[in-house]
Amino acid sequence: MKSFTYVIKDELGIHARPAGMLVKEAKNFQSTITIDNGLKKADASKLMAVMSMGVKCGQTVTVTVEGEDEEAALNGIQSFFENNL
Amino acid sequence: MFQIFKKKENAKIVIASPVKGTAVGLDKVNDPTFSECMLGKGVAIIPKEGKIYAPADGEIGLMFDTLHAVSMTTKEGVELLIHVGLDTVKLKGEGFTGHVATGDEVKKGDLLLTVDLEAVKAAGYETITPVVVCNTDDYEAVEASNLSEVEQGDEVISITIK
Repeated sequence: MKSFTYVIKDELGIHARPAGMLVKEAKNFQSTITIDNGLKKADASKLMAVMSMGVKCGQTVTVTVEGEDEEAALNGIQSFFENNL
Repeated sequence: MFQIFKKKENAKIVIASPVKGTAVGLDKVNDPTFSECMLGKGVAIIPKEGKIYAPADGEIGLMFDTLHAVSMTTKEGVELLIHVGLDTVKLKGEGFTGHVATGDEVKKGDLLLTVDLEAVKAAGYETITPVVVCNTDDYEAVEASNLSEVEQGDEVISITIK
């Protein structure tokens, strides 16, 4: 299991479009990817769950990755956050 | 004795239009998030009225703080997103009024939110409203079933259960 934390910089947070992009990215990997903002948790491959977290700018999210390709998944998701959020 | 050759009809779920307007395919939406079905398959409504109603019975998953979109899970488990206008997250709620909150139970036809369509247009945004099934992969098929002029409550999406 691997994890990282990230502070959301996008002023609009994780709204519909970034949620869709994040889920698309998460589905590229076999590993189970979980996002947690301290209030709610969601499986990153489940769009409605991710969107319903309503992650806002300034919140710290913890992303946990577990599975066979967790190294690649961690790198992929971490760069997704850095580039988009 | 020929009944064994009949294909079993899969059960269907019908989703209504949340708004009066013109139903068009998602491919007509000028935003790849929707036109490429990144958020799921469905339909888009070019609204003629700024009143958005519940398209089915269910529970509100999230009323966005910015009131430009609302998600809900129907009693059958269909995860719907109604997104009023394109890029309207940037309006930060201006022109929108919410009438339900996250977690509320709603009945088909309940008023979810109102939007000042003219104000949204004046701010430079399109008002086309995609209605998408976020858990499209859970179903055999999700189809826009009525691409025409619609009233709120008219069928616009037909979902075939696996």
